[in-house]
Amino acid sequence: MTKQEQVKAIFIEEAGEIIEKLDINIIRFEENSTDFDLLNEIFRGVHTLKGNANAFGFTRLGEFVHHFEDILDHYRSTHESIETHNLELIVNSVVVIQEVMHCELNEIQELPDSYPECLEEIKALLASKKGACEKEKVLPPTEQMNDLTAEFGSDITPSMDELLNQSIQKHKKMQTEDLKLYKIDLTLDSDCYTRGFDHLLFLKMLQEKSSAMESFFEMQNVAKLEAFHVHENSIGLVTSIVLTPLNFEEICEYFEYLFAHEYKVELLAYEPQVQEKKDELTEVTTKTVAKNNAPVMSSTAKSTIRIDTLKLDELFDSVGELVIAQNFVSQNEKIHAIEDESISRTIETLSKITKRIQDRVMSLRMVAIRDTFDKMKRVVRDTSKKTGKELHLHVLGEDTEIDKTMIDSLSDPLVHIIRNAIDHGLEADAKARLAAGKKVEGVITLKAYHKSGNIVISVSDDGRGIDKEKVIQKAIERGVITGDENLTESQAFSLIMQPGFSTADTISDLSGRGVGLDVVKTSIEKLRGKIEIESKQGEGTTISMVLPLTLAIIDGMLVQVAQEIYIIPTLSVVESFRPERDIVHAVKGKGEFVSMRGQHIPVIRLSDLFDLETEHLDPWDGILVCVETEAGRIAIMVDELVGRQQVVIKPLGKALAKQREISGGAILGSGDIALILNVEELRPLIESVHA
Amino acid sequence: MEFDGDVLTIGLDMNIKEIEEFGEFIQARLEYLTTIEIQEGTALQSSALLSLLVSLKRSHTHLNIPFLERGSMSSQTHGTLHWIHYD
Repeated sequence: MTKQEQVKAIFIEEAGEIIEKLDINIIRFEENSTDFDLLNEIFRGVHTLKGNANAFGFTRLGEFVHHFEDILDHYRSTHESIETHNLELIVNSVVVIQEVMHCELNEIQELPDSYPECLEEIKALLASKKGACEKEKVLPPTEQMNDLTAEFGSDITPSMDELLNQSIQKHKKMQTEDLKLYKIDLTLDSDCYTRGFDHLLFLKMLQEKSSAMESFFEMQNVAKLEAFHVHENSIGLVTSIVLTPLNFEEICEYFEYLFAHEYKVELLAYEPQVQEKKDELTEVTTKTVAKNNAPVMSSTAKSTIRIDTLKLDELFDSVGELVIAQNFVSQNEKIHAIEDESISRTIETLSKITKRIQDRVMSLRMVAIRDTFDKMKRVVRDTSKKTGKELHLHVLGEDTEIDKTMIDSLSDPLVHIIRNAIDHGLEADAKARLAAGKKVEGVITLKAYHKSGNIVISVSDDGRGIDKEKVIQKAIERGVITGDENLTESQAFSLIMQPGFSTADTISDLSGRGVGLDVVKTSIEKLRGKIEIESKQGEGTTISMVLPLTLAIIDGMLVQVAQEIYIIPTLSVVESFRPERDIVHAVKGKGEFVSMRGQHIPVIRLSDLFDLETEHLDPWDGILVCVETEAGRIAIMVDELVGRQQVVIKPLGKALAKQREISGGAILGSGDIALILNVEELRPLIESVHA
Repeated sequence: MEFDGDVLTIGLDMNIKEIEEFGEFIQARLEYLTTIEIQEGTALQSSALLSLLVSLKRSHTHLNIPFLERGSMSSQTHGTLHWIHYD
């Protein structure tokens, strides 16, 4: 890949992110069109997009965005309230931007019909606004309107950011081809001194290899003497601008013993050949750097390093191996036999560090579901418009973190479920809702939360609910069931997930083809998750996607049955105990139960389940591990509890993939293999074991 | 560390233990101390000292610490350092 191609690839990725963010922000702005800070943020994104598009010859995108930017500029400069139809035009323009971008990337000559229409409308609006402004003589000078620095920098008081910007500019002037310019942030934890670290230690090492270095200590958080502790670092941030021949990796090596959140190294882009060509991208990048330092730009100031997800996966695997090796060391009897305090301490330290590394690496893949939920706002808005149904979206648990790989696969299922909820879940019109004693405005609730070691993402509506009888009737008509089955509510509702199944009387372009929910089910099952449906006629429906955390490492309780070790995910475990004889009951044809605090909990014997010969024949001879499952609590009977351990999940391979009561395997510290129980799938086997 | 009437002169090259001792030492003398000067030719060894000086200034605004008020220093060891505390 040539340098130009690399830069172009970066542009494409960035443009995609800007447009994605634009789409989310424009919907937020539609909800509150007096939020001019948000409008400023939207404007900045559009401005960057315009510059980059023109720099790479995407002139059709550039032209559209140019006029779009002008209209945004008008509203943000005048703070004029936006008329409803013009707001609609602005929101729709973002869709056109997405479409044009697609055409540009795929070199499609023919632009969508919406392009000229929307562009003309924007131009007309702009002309009318300009005319009005000229009459009122309130239009600010053009140069003032276009000067981002003046606009965004006007309300910043002299600060660390200003000093930093000056320092960056000063060092850029000193920069030569051999020297790189870095911005390094140190946010050392309060215990850094006791860990043997000091800001000045790093600055000293950097200075030795630098041509020039300037550092800024943010001392805002330093407390008054009565609350001050010498051993606790209270310096919030130290930022260094470093001009050095060292490359990025070499710089990062200085901080390898710090936690990842304690430092951030940023290479400030300086490409002499690009600058000589006065490439607009460089200008934009420089501005972004400057903006990032300003506190008022908080929402756009996220600084990140892009890492190939394959590298992350490799890192993840390596940490898995590290955890196994660490477990091996800590459980090794020969090592334990050495009576040496320093060895014990070292093993303990190793264990702590391994756990920290594991947590950090795991967190790298975890992202808040907020962005995905934000995208759903557009789906709700568009579906609401298309169906003509008034509704309110209620979002909960946006900060719930989920594996990045899962997030990527969740968008489509969520879109299907939300559209379905609006189109079919909610009553047909306002009249029907009023007749049902509800408010005209329907409510869609999007929620993410943790439950029993899983992540649940649910979409609820307060609509008419699912008509169980209608579903069964349709299923019989389509030959899905015969009608002889005595289906529970849950089983009946799950029929709507069958391929080609739809109870919709009319097919709309949104849903009702019986395709969406089938696709949803397949997608979620691919993620080792499942769909649950709850519905009450007249009250509404909740469709929940129950997903595993997918993390390759879990915290497990090791149990022994016969000579085999099994692992129960600790998150599911409620308690473990040896039951008294009189609280265990056997019910003919239904199996064994243990009575606990007024509850009768089914007992499942692992020895029966896996056909193992055990000496513990009765529950009161063994141990019951009570676990929480989606269907309620169950008590797993084992011979002994072995301990608790972090284990790396290893797939079982195709041959055992259908063994639903096992979710994976793990290599223990001793080198033995243990199976990880899928507690959710144990309950249905109770009947078969004890029948 | 030298006392000259109500002026205390300290070296910047204190390690964390010495800073702790300095912190304890100065607490009892803050009533009559007016100025803290820095000994020429010494270089900061720990950012904790900078924090302590800022903390002292925050708690006892009458205290004159010219080094702190300078806002920056340059050295061969650490380059140019600036400190910002908005007091």
